[in-house]
Amino acid sequence: MTHEEYEAIAALDAIGAASADEENALRAHLESCDQCRKARREFEEAATLLARSLEPVPPPADVRDRVMAATGAGETTLREHYRFAVRPWWLATAATVFLALWGWRELGIRAAREKVVSQDAEIRRLSEENARLNDRTRKLSSEISSLASRDTRMISLAGQRVSPGASAKFFLEPSRRRAVVFFYNLPANPGDKSYQLWIIRADQPKPQSAGVFDVPNGGNATISVENLPVATEIKALAVTLEPRGGVARPTNTNFYLTGKS
Amino acid sequence: MSMSVEAPSLLPAVARGDTAAFEELYDRHSGILYALLLRILSSGEDAQEVLQETFAKAWSSASKFDASRGSEVAWLISIARSRGIDRLRSRKVRLDRENDAGREISIRSSFVERTTGADRAIVSQQQTAVRGALGDLPDAQRIALELAYFEGLSQSEIAQRLSEPLGTIKTRMQLGMKKLRERSRAFR
Repeated sequence: MTHEEYEAIAALDAIGAASADEENALRAHLESCDQCRKARREFEEAATLLARSLEPVPPPADVRDRVMAATGAGETTLREHYRFAVRPWWLATAATVFLALWGWRELGIRAAREKVVSQDAEIRRLSEENARLNDRTRKLSSEISSLASRDTRMISLAGQRVSPGASAKFFLEPSRRRAVVFFYNLPANPGDKSYQLWIIRADQPKPQSAGVFDVPNGGNATISVENLPVATEIKALAVTLEPRGGVARPTNTNFYLTGKS
Repeated sequence: MSMSVEAPSLLPAVARGDTAAFEELYDRHSGILYALLLRILSSGEDAQEVLQETFAKAWSSASKFDASRGSEVAWLISIARSRGIDRLRSRKVRLDRENDAGREISIRSSFVERTTGADRAIVSQQQTAVRGALGDLPDAQRIALELAYFEGLSQSEIAQRLSEPLGTIKTRMQLGMKKLRERSRAFR
């Protein structure tokens, strides 16, 4: 890069607008280039014109008092400064008291800031929890509606050879083409497998997936199924154990549950 | 040509622990620094806190000031601006700025009412010259510079804000800074 190019970066850097890469390159170059270092200083001075064009605003009077108190200036004069200097115990005591008060104030401010951050995080967590509960409420309402509807039909599924103690109830709400399914006493599925519910349709030769689900150690599970075929097309139901996440077609005929419409 | 009306720097005296000089330093520059911090932070409370930090830094670091590298006011402005932008970013005040636009205007108006007589005469002499220097900049260049300087926006954020290509924004800022550099030599 040429000096002109570095100066162009220095111009941006003086107002904080250089990119990280440009800034790094400039810093490295300035270490060995007086000319560009001078240019960088001049751009920095020039940038302050932006601030110096503002209409000055006197800060509140108490800010001056706080500044002087914080730095130990107060109403003291240079003469008083030296007078205090020959009494180090006085100065040391005042400094200790001041530092204690300042530290106490800073700790208070820091604690308040941390509290705000903590409360913001708690609000976000509660908002997410609220959204999750609202979603759960909608789901439960939908399931209750499916169960309580006047035209709801129930299909029972019975355990097969691999799981003779298992069973399931398929509550179908034909008008909305949705169902709630309760599974009982199924063995817990391995981590790399999922149970998959299949619908055998009257109008199609191949089974259609109606959903994938996991069964914990207790053996029971509940799922909701949407967008079902019309009730008259549901000929039978079956459950198989498939690779995790489910598959497009059953990979085996080792049925855990079956039931006829 | 020299347009400088600045008094000799007080910082060497402040570095020696001269509290009277420090008080004078505050009285001399607190108005412009507070205006700058209000412009950046749009919050009187934040601006006052950062103003305190700025003078605390000036008190403790006055010995590091090198008059050959820049003016006293530029040194103080650099401290205040850097801390103001840090505060702006850490508190995400940026999101509130648009809502507070009205408040900023009222703060500026209140100064005009409170600043009279000799104060205004002293202030206006240099400011007229500075504003003249800024007034020479085309609006497009000045706006890009102000977004970087007062709002701490990056090149790409400015390009996005102004709906302009990144290259155009960089060129504008570089041209604007070159002009300001030429003008600022008159204030040294």
